Amino acid sequence: MDGVNPVPKLYRSVIEDVIEGVRDLFAEEGIEEQVLKDLKQLWETKVLQSKATEDFFRNSVHSPLFTLQLPHSLHQTLPSSTASLLIPAGKTLPTFITAELGTSNSSANFTYPGYPVHVPAGVTLQTASGHLYKVNVPIMVTQTSGRASILQHPFQQVFQQLGQPSIIQTSIPQLNPYCLEATTEKSQRMETVLQQPVVLRSGTVDRKHLENATGDTLTHPGNEHKIMSEALLSHPENCQYISLSGVVFPPQVSQMDSDVEPVLSVSASMTQNLHGGPLSTGPQGAQHQHMPDVQLRVLKNRMCGCDSVKQPRNTEEPSSLPVSEKDSNSQMDLSICVTDDDINEIIQIDGTGDTSSSDEIGSTRDVDENKFLGITDVGDLKVLEEASSISNEDSTANSSDNEDPQVDLVEEDPLNSGDDVSEQDVPDLFDTDNVIVCQYEKIHRSKNKWKFYLKDGVVCFGGRDYVFAKAIGDAEW
Amino acid sequence: MAYQLYRNTTLGNSLQESLDELIQSQQIIPQLALQVLLQFDKAINSALAQTVRNRVNFRGSLNTYRFCDNVWTFVLNDVEFREVTELIKVDKVKIVACDGKNTGSNTTE
Repeated sequence: MDGVNPVPKLYRSVIEDVIEGVRDLFAEEGIEEQVLKDLKQLWETKVLQSKATEDFFRNSVHSPLFTLQLPHSLHQTLPSSTASLLIPAGKTLPTFITAELGTSNSSANFTYPGYPVHVPAGVTLQTASGHLYKVNVPIMVTQTSGRASILQHPFQQVFQQLGQPSIIQTSIPQLNPYCLEATTEKSQRMETVLQQPVVLRSGTVDRKHLENATGDTLTHPGNEHKIMSEALLSHPENCQYISLSGVVFPPQVSQMDSDVEPVLSVSASMTQNLHGGPLSTGPQGAQHQHMPDVQLRVLKNRMCGCDSVKQPRNTEEPSSLPVSEKDSNSQMDLSICVTDDDINEIIQIDGTGDTSSSDEIGSTRDVDENKFLGITDVGDLKVLEEASSISNEDSTANSSDNEDPQVDLVEEDPLNSGDDVSEQDVPDLFDTDNVIVCQYEKIHRSKNKWKFYLKDGVVCFGGRDYVFAKAIGDAEW
Repeated sequence: MAYQLYRNTTLGNSLQESLDELIQSQQIIPQLALQVLLQFDKAINSALAQTVRNRVNFRGSLNTYRFCDNVWTFVLNDVEFREVTELIKVDKVKIVACDGKNTGSNTTE
């Protein structure tokens, strides 16, 4: 089985181990099993959404699972029971569902080898991460090559409040492995966060349809989930493709505000499969095509950088602070020097300003004074004292000449500043998307040739994850 | 005690985020989250030591190196990672490595 990516399997086994390992801990704390399941779901969703396991389901033997819970009565108030079933691939749900509709707590499990999935109207879908929305119209969920799913809503508005003017937070997680769990519990919280590229076809259907729903409210999710959104629209006339990689819905919207609805708007027209072409998967700087102004502006306004999501928790605080302090200090020093020099120039210009010459003059003067001591009288001594005091003043003034070299230094620093390696690289230098976290067995250096013997490493290159048991490397510094 | 080194990986970060969400919604207490992370440390350390078996070679130029508290941090440029199956090139990579000399591959916590 060469070539099979070991990463997804490894991650799955780690997740399982951890969840099992903490099951007792949770029980001791008196925390419900449901919370543990939530944790597992959240964790798996995030891992799957990251590019780390891009090939998670492409190479894996398992098929993605879709869980659908059907209310045992459509268009009615939410039943308290929940049922889960998996959407079969390629099968038309209506046929399946009708058979199940009669029963409450209908449940069935199917494996789902792939898209597309037809979701009939009236189904309540909940994503794996606990997001819930009710499908009012038939939906087709397909998978594009761009790892985005297309929700085609051939009819009216898909998302409808579940019989209550309650807070609905719907979220559409990444659809590549698309786990939907729909529950129909009333008390269930639904979060609306679009977390991954989702392509919605909204065509000719207007907000009118959206406004038909009553009492829909979308609230800002309490938790700021990952939120990168890109919206791509093309051809506003026929089909509008909105690719959203995580959209935080705006604060409470009552009565289906037009601001929000367009996101969820559905096209009554049709239904071509959208391929991953127009979808841009980059989380930032999305390319927007033909964006209908209002809708996408809204989406754009709600974009948050995914940096917050993916940013590794850097344990090392780069030495930006000390560096900056250094800079400021050095600048201070330079400024001080300059002012002093100015003062110096004012006081002393040349000639007697020279330290060495003043010493000689002073010494000769001393000698002269010694000679004259025996002969001179008080008046002369006073004159000599004044002369010596003047010379002392000169010497004090001369001492300031010691700072003259600093004048040169001040002038030279800008000249030699090129010698310094730019210190600004340090904080940015360690900030990269490509990280290897591992253990070292041996690090060897010979002159500037380094050899690395590493082990048990997890590699992340631009989001994609790899692992190794051993790594040997060479580098030249 | 297993290294907490692997918390800054995709797997570790997603776990921490999930735990943070549960703490925010007050479904768990922070102390429990810490315990979960400790369990994660054990699990990932042992999984890496026992499950993974592949080897990788790499070559590049060393931009910076740092050794502090027995942790090496390197930044390499223009690196080629070579596995049997594939070759990966990156222009910049940061390597953080803890001391692995005393931990044999067959030790478990």
